[in-house]
Amino acid sequence: MKSVPRLIRWFVGILLLSCFLLILLNIGALAMIMTRQAPNASPWKTAQEAAQALEKTDEGYTLPSEMGDKLKKEQIWAIFIENTTMQVVWHTKNLPDTIPLAYDLAGISNLTRKYIDGYPTFPGERADGLMVLGYPKTSYWKHIWPSWDYSFIAHLPQTALIVIGINVAVIFLIYFITTSRVLKSVGPIADGIQDMGNGKTVRVSEKGLLCELAAGINRTSAILQSQNHQLRKKEMARANWIAGVSHDIRTPLSMVMGYAGQLMEDERLPKEAQEKASVILTQSKRMRNLINDLNLSSKLEYNMQPVHPKKENAVAIVRQVAVDFMNLDIEEKYPIYWETERCPAQSWIYGDKDLLKRAVSNLIQNCMNHNEKGCHIYVSVKEENMQCVITVADDGEGIPDEQLAALNNMPHYMVCDEEIASQRHGLGLRIVRQIMASHQGEAILEHSSCGGFAVRLLLLLYQGQE
Amino acid sequence: MELEYLKKKRILLVDDEAALLDMVKTILNKEGFLNIETAGCVKDALTAAEEFLPEMAILDVMLPDGNGFSLMEKLKCKADYPILFLTARGEEEDRFRGFGLGADDYIVKPFLPRELIFRVTAILRRSYKNENPLVRLHGSEIDFERAEVFKDGEKIPLTAKEYDLLSALYRNAGRIVTIDTLCEAAWGENPFGYENSLMAHIRRIREKIEADPSRPQSLVTIKGLGYKLITEGK
Repeated sequence: MKSVPRLIRWFVGILLLSCFLLILLNIGALAMIMTRQAPNASPWKTAQEAAQALEKTDEGYTLPSEMGDKLKKEQIWAIFIENTTMQVVWHTKNLPDTIPLAYDLAGISNLTRKYIDGYPTFPGERADGLMVLGYPKTSYWKHIWPSWDYSFIAHLPQTALIVIGINVAVIFLIYFITTSRVLKSVGPIADGIQDMGNGKTVRVSEKGLLCELAAGINRTSAILQSQNHQLRKKEMARANWIAGVSHDIRTPLSMVMGYAGQLMEDERLPKEAQEKASVILTQSKRMRNLINDLNLSSKLEYNMQPVHPKKENAVAIVRQVAVDFMNLDIEEKYPIYWETERCPAQSWIYGDKDLLKRAVSNLIQNCMNHNEKGCHIYVSVKEENMQCVITVADDGEGIPDEQLAALNNMPHYMVCDEEIASQRHGLGLRIVRQIMASHQGEAILEHSSCGGFAVRLLLLLYQGQE
Repeated sequence: MELEYLKKKRILLVDDEAALLDMVKTILNKEGFLNIETAGCVKDALTAAEEFLPEMAILDVMLPDGNGFSLMEKLKCKADYPILFLTARGEEEDRFRGFGLGADDYIVKPFLPRELIFRVTAILRRSYKNENPLVRLHGSEIDFERAEVFKDGEKIPLTAKEYDLLSALYRNAGRIVTIDTLCEAAWGENPFGYENSLMAHIRRIREKIEADPSRPQSLVTIKGLGYKLITEGK
């Protein structure tokens, strides 16, 4: 099944695209967060600014109102620890009571890395002391241990790539494990559907993820097979029925033809009676031809007629048919002209001799059936464009263009489910077409150059390959 | 008339349809075949064969107590004479089976009386041609038993190929025989490419049988198709 690898390629493509988009999205999201987090540097910066802004006067330290308002707005408290005394010498008014006013070195280290009483603190240094800002308790989370192995930081790009690679590999592994199970179930089902389309009997194992689907396909296949079998049985029954009827009608028709033939030639009978016998004989012959045609046509239709092709000389086949008709046409009402000048001595084709004889015979018979007053029949075989062209033409009444178009385009009533009243032509030409189809040939119906009707049969020349 | 000896042959007709038997008998009688015996089943046919000693049999395939193929085998065990099947079974396999068992011809019903007479005559001619005293032509006579032609009181021998060709033409006397059929009669299967040789042989045959070979009256050319042998009375 060619579509399964295509399906796999499609899924892998989708997965790769998804991974790529996901990574891109993550990088974008990270970048956005980083951008937003950039102001996080501001507590340190603000502390530094506040330290620089603090002014020392004779009366002590004062913070300009602008900076003071900024701290107040953000609910920040501030203390200034003098270097020499390690005492808080200045603080804002909103300083919580729990904040100590004297510090030692450990306290300074602690407030730098951690918190004072849960308040995240940020120091800003100046020459004579340290300004410490205390932010509201839930405003910042401080990283207490801001140190990494040097090698870890040095190899961070490689480490990141390895981590991403491992992630992608794990995703692929999970994907393959899950999809291989699906594909294992899909493969036989896909094969089954394709086989069903080719008319084969399908039996898919009803196990795995898609067991219900497999069961459905098995049921559908069984229904299709059963319907095909029924259809074939009906076709066989129809063909056999036609064969049976045609068999049963042959003996009585023999009697009609036999006695009519004798009466026609009985000199003791009045001429009128002989002519009537002649009509009975002619019509009986038509019935005989119809029976034969119906039987053969139904067999060709249902592929019950064996075709035994072999290398044959089309000239010999057509010549024999023409001679058989000439030998029977005692009254010479339908003289047959073998167009010798255009005929090669041999024209090799690959076909069933009996069926091809039947096709040519039907065409000559057709000329006779449609020209009761008699006509000349012209038969020829020639080679054109790697094809053997057998032509049977007459100079009889011919047919109008509309009828010719109908013959060429409309299906025969035997295989047509509509408008059968308007197309009562015989089976002769249909058989010719069927025989040509079984030989990969073609029958072309046209007006003859001598005013009547003509049929050209096109068959591929034998090329040495069967 | 050269066909008279053929018309004396004893013919056994076997068919389960009594009316058809009557009709075939009248067709044959009308043509001068008067030694006819009929049977409606295998059993009657075997009895008739014992008593009547037929020289040709025309058999139906489907009979009430057996089939024509097995009947033919039983008849051929006793004596070898030509068999023609006249049956409603026109299937290819039936025809092949009939010919495979040694039938001389196979006619599928319904048939024209003229067709039946022609086939019966052709089979009898082929099977009993050596009994024919002489085949009379316009300017000569052919003795098939001796493979000779009598012309102007002179005996002219026929070569093997000339004999084969004349036999094929005589079997179909009065009818066109195609170039291909004649080549097959003289050179066997796959007889293609012998058209020029055939023309040479026909020319030599004409020199032997025609009063004026340049204006043939007995062996006529049908241009592009074949030749026709016209015997006296045909």
